[in-house]
Amino acid sequence: MSTTKFDEIIHPSTRLSIVALLASTDWADFSFVRDRLGMSDSALSKQFSILEDAGYVTIDRFVTNRRRRVRVGLTDLGRQAFEAHVAALQAVIASAESGTLPAA
Amino acid sequence: MKNEVSEAEARLALSSIEQRRQQVIAEIDVPAWYWFGMAGGWVVLGVLADYGPSWATIAGTVLFGAVHASVAPRVLSGRHASPHLSVRSDLVSRRVPALVIGFLILMTIVTVALALIASADGARHPAILASVVVAALVLVGGPRLMAAVRRQAEQRLAAS
Repeated sequence: MSTTKFDEIIHPSTRLSIVALLASTDWADFSFVRDRLGMSDSALSKQFSILEDAGYVTIDRFVTNRRRRVRVGLTDLGRQAFEAHVAALQAVIASAESGTLPAA
Repeated sequence: MKNEVSEAEARLALSSIEQRRQQVIAEIDVPAWYWFGMAGGWVVLGVLADYGPSWATIAGTVLFGAVHASVAPRVLSGRHASPHLSVRSDLVSRRVPALVIGFLILMTIVTVALALIASADGARHPAILASVVVAALVLVGGPRLMAAVRRQAEQRLAAS
């Protein structure tokens, strides 16, 4: 069972969407994330920089068939943080439904 | 931070997470070229069976099987239809390769049955007739099979 921990880095909606998308993949191209989230390259790069600085994502840049590709994926730390964050969100709902305060 | 998150906000966040997961589930598939390749190979084998010498039919069947065996391990997982991502294995049923192979075995049985019926009915090219019909079934049925796999993945996600 995953631990329960809010993550302020992941919680903002844009980064939550990015991490949620990556959590279901082993890796994804930068373009895939950009297209699914409908973001600009620069806006997405900024969010990836924050996640990379936190150690939550890895970013690999390489060339294939003369095309530059950027491949991103969650690190183990990022995956653990995401699962703990999801558990924390679920705990908020569970506590609201039971009328109790969430556990610390 | 956690005390500032309302139930409504938590529900919204979880809804967003589920939406993103569904976007990845939508990518579970086998490449379109796989079904076209299977259908094309089926027709070629039918032509060989009706027009070619028996050794050519045997050689063609062996070659077809060898090519399929070389691409199947990667393609049939359902996780690499798109070159732009790799779907996590826990999101895809492990039975997908068995389902696809089972579907192809069923199509083989249908091909033989149709060819025998056509031959008994006096058709001039029973193998070609059967292979063309089954090739069409592969092109229609293959994507439908993978759509069912995606629906199952969505149901498992909703139940989790």
